[in-house]
Amino acid sequence: MRTYVEFAKKAIQNNIVYRVNSYAGIINTIVMIFVNIAIWRAIYEEEATLEGLQFRLVITYIVLSFLMQSIFVMDEYLIQYKVRSGSISTDMLRPISFLGYVFSHNIGVMLFRIIIQLTPALLVAIFFVKILPPFSPLIALYFAISVLLGYLVLYSINLVVWLTSFWYFEIFSFITIKDAAVMILSGALLPIWFMPNWLYNLVQITPFGSIYSVPISIYLGQLPETEIYTKILLQIIWIIVFQVIGRLLWHCAQKRIVVQGG
Amino acid sequence: MSYIEVNNLVKDYKINVKKRGILGSMQSLLIPEYKMIRAVDDISFSIKKGEMVGFIGPNGAGKSTTVKMLTGILMPTSGNIITGGLSPHSDRKKNAARIGAVFGQRTQLWWDLPAEDTFDLLRYVYKMPEKKFKANMETFNELLGLNEFISKPVRQLSLGQRMRADIAASLIHDPEIVFFDEPTIGLDVVAKQKVRDFVRHMNKEKNITMLFTTHDMGDIEKTCDRMLIIDKGKIIYDGTPDDIKKKYAKYRTLIIDFVEKQSGIEIPGVEVCEDKGNKVQFRFIKDEVSAQELISSLTKKYEISDFTLQEADIENVIREIYEGGIKCDENLCGVC
Repeated sequence: MRTYVEFAKKAIQNNIVYRVNSYAGIINTIVMIFVNIAIWRAIYEEEATLEGLQFRLVITYIVLSFLMQSIFVMDEYLIQYKVRSGSISTDMLRPISFLGYVFSHNIGVMLFRIIIQLTPALLVAIFFVKILPPFSPLIALYFAISVLLGYLVLYSINLVVWLTSFWYFEIFSFITIKDAAVMILSGALLPIWFMPNWLYNLVQITPFGSIYSVPISIYLGQLPETEIYTKILLQIIWIIVFQVIGRLLWHCAQKRIVVQGG
Repeated sequence: MSYIEVNNLVKDYKINVKKRGILGSMQSLLIPEYKMIRAVDDISFSIKKGEMVGFIGPNGAGKSTTVKMLTGILMPTSGNIITGGLSPHSDRKKNAARIGAVFGQRTQLWWDLPAEDTFDLLRYVYKMPEKKFKANMETFNELLGLNEFISKPVRQLSLGQRMRADIAASLIHDPEIVFFDEPTIGLDVVAKQKVRDFVRHMNKEKNITMLFTTHDMGDIEKTCDRMLIIDKGKIIYDGTPDDIKKKYAKYRTLIIDFVEKQSGIEIPGVEVCEDKGNKVQFRFIKDEVSAQELISSLTKKYEISDFTLQEADIENVIREIYEGGIKCDENLCGVC
């Protein structure tokens, strides 16, 4: 266990090395929040309900989504890089679990993001944008749990995509397709209640809804308590499903490792 | 008692055959063609605890593949490997705890962080007690001079420094066996010597089993007691570096500096391979012609200012083996 904590620390240190990049990331997140608010403001001005609750809900939804996106960042090309450069061999020489290493590395990336990007963006969101507070303290707890599970759903889906590197070596297109699917189907860009019915139903049966829209809906108090439980259960099921697929892929991948470049 | 036991090891690779040119590329995009390549072809050998063994062979002979199977990175197509009672691939994690490896062409250190951070991390990876870790670090500092550069980011190290750090990293956890894959590649003469001395020292001190793959015969002659030559996936020689010299280095070369220019010297059994007037090179089979008699017969007839006698060097022997000039006979491969 200690070993994996150390891996996470190293990931944080590695990120600190490229400081300027991180500062740019903060600006990016804050600008994106304001740009999106401006867009929604323009839409609502037409309907002249700017001060209404509906508008505040949408803004809160969008800001929460961006805050979550700013920490749901993972090292998408880590596995591909290791497979293509052959440095996977160094990891295989260590008495560690490779999947455990990849996970702790990404946790490190996330912790770094929480410190350097989420904190300033959150302050901006609370004091300048004035997002709605969580519905109740209990709801805040459910929200926190659901965010964590949402991260794990996204991580598990990502893992399955990343592991295909062992077969295809270049997975840029897969990652792009996956990102597009996540963006559209998870409700990260557009609150799901604005979606046409067919898309809304599609989101309900795909795992993507479990990433962003479930935690945010919980936060906004849009789900009755019993439904919160079923949604959280659903998140757990998706994590298990993709973890099982990921482990199977890894099991097969170990047999077909080829070390590139000598 | 053998520590590593390899039986009938085979590794096949499936490779995608790419045709030439843009049309060829298009064709292989639509109808991929695959070909099986046998990188390691039914090899068997065993290595004792504490032995230092050199693997040599031309590029693409299968040595790196063999080493990667021994370390558990690659899964053999067939055959089996036992190192210290474990199968390296199926017991990868357990096996990894007691092996170390150095790959000259890539580093195991964290690229963006100071080398010392990698060492700290390795302490946790191998679950080492702090005392043991500190003691080992001190030894490495002394022998490899790590302190000069340990706090610099790895990407800023010179190749020699990086190699020293890499070697220390592979030995930090007191492994029972260490694999070196071209550890001296790209190093200057002094750095090479340092690496060789250190490796020998560690082998003597801690009785670590060591396996080298290299193209540098100096590495083998100066460090290894045993040498395996692999070519086209098969072991073609297994014995000491000296034996191969005795057996296959038939020729000696005598270089004579005459006081005056000579020409047309003819001695039976001796071939003049270079004639630069005053300086003449003679080549002869050492079992047939005695060097002493040759020199004395020459000094009787001519005035000689200087001479040098060259033993055949192992590098030439190896070159001839690779080029197919020498066929290793079966009885020399004692073990296999």
